[in-house]
Amino acid sequence: MTDPRIREAANAIECVLLVSGEPVRLDQLADAVQAPADVVAAAVALLRQEYAGRGLEVQEVAGGYQLGTRPAYADAVRRYLGAAGREPLSQAALETLAIVAYRQPITRPEIEALRGVRSEHILERLEERRLIKAVGRKPTVGRPILYGTTEAFLRYFGLRDLSDLPPLDALGGPPPAVAPAETGEAGSEER
Amino acid sequence: MTSTRPDPFIVRTATFEGPLDQLLRLAQDGQVDLAALPLGDIAAEYLARTRQDLDPDDVTETIWLLAALIELKARALLPQPPPAEEAAEDAGQLEELLEERLAAYRAFRDVATALRTLEAYQQRVFLRLPEQPDEPLLSGIALTDLWRAFQEVLARGKERGAEIPPEGITVAERMAAILALLAAHPQGVPFDALFPAEATRLEIVVTFLALLELVRLLRVRVVQEARFATIRIYARTPQEDRTGAEAG
Repeated sequence: MTDPRIREAANAIECVLLVSGEPVRLDQLADAVQAPADVVAAAVALLRQEYAGRGLEVQEVAGGYQLGTRPAYADAVRRYLGAAGREPLSQAALETLAIVAYRQPITRPEIEALRGVRSEHILERLEERRLIKAVGRKPTVGRPILYGTTEAFLRYFGLRDLSDLPPLDALGGPPPAVAPAETGEAGSEER
Repeated sequence: MTSTRPDPFIVRTATFEGPLDQLLRLAQDGQVDLAALPLGDIAAEYLARTRQDLDPDDVTETIWLLAALIELKARALLPQPPPAEEAAEDAGQLEELLEERLAAYRAFRDVATALRTLEAYQQRVFLRLPEQPDEPLLSGIALTDLWRAFQEVLARGKERGAEIPPEGITVAERMAAILALLAAHPQGVPFDALFPAEATRLEIVVTFLALLELVRLLRVRVVQEARFATIRIYARTPQEDRTGAEAG
């Protein structure tokens, strides 16, 4: 039998997540439902468990929880919305974004040294999409802008935090054949 | 153009006698002592021959063959430096650096692939769109500010004295004019721009009414960044396509 306090909190949290439409941190949830942290944590766990077989799922993203549709039903949603979906990032943009994500904070010249090509335009586009932002300036000649990733970046890829990024082959050895398989992790059972 | 090809140019030196292309082939195979080969003489001989008979194709070919021979001879005459160790080291370092870069780049390309998978997953997750707060129609501007601005324009109109207005000006006309003006200026226009200097009182009044009507119909936005700042009028952007937004 579930603790009625947890049941109650879970119901309230469900409502908050529904209206939020974006990740809500645990402390925000505790604040909203006026319950202690341990009850909120248990309630979230209960919700996630209960949503396991449903069309919606509770995702842990960008340091919070969000209620979203399950990818398996994306086609139905898209048909209803009549929307083709957002344009995925170009390969160059994705690679540049990866460099920023793993080497942040990083300057444009440093990125360009790695990529071997000018990257000004791509960085601008990524900034426009709010996936990266200027996080400061490097105290060297010219004080170049340092770039870092944003919370929107975490949401875009469904990451809990930066430590949730796929592991980078730091030694730069031959490409690991397992890379694509490993990435199902942040996804879930559908994959 | 000569219709027949001239006889092939025959090289005659102390060590070799035959057509030029054969000489080149032998030289390339290392069967000719290039150092002893008088290329200057051969060239002069050929040049003398062209004075009598000039066939462009033949000249082209011969120049090419001679040039190849000159290159071979030049290489043979140059002292062969022993492979400098320092240079080798530099090359090694450069290679290492390039290897490193390439490895780092490969690593990023790999994680980019992983990120692509995550992106594809997350693009199939839809979130409820947050309620969009209504776009302010009159932002940072009090009715009195608008009224004062109107008074100013009116005063300007007054200075011109009374006038019998020409044909009637309708609010609808002025609304269309304002919208046309705003369409031409996506970055908005200052309040004054709606009222040309030569506008009559009636025009000013009707234009002002048209502006108010457009505000009421949600077609324009009137913005004043700060108190007493210029009031700017913008065409109201149509509601963003809500369906376009997805997770992320």
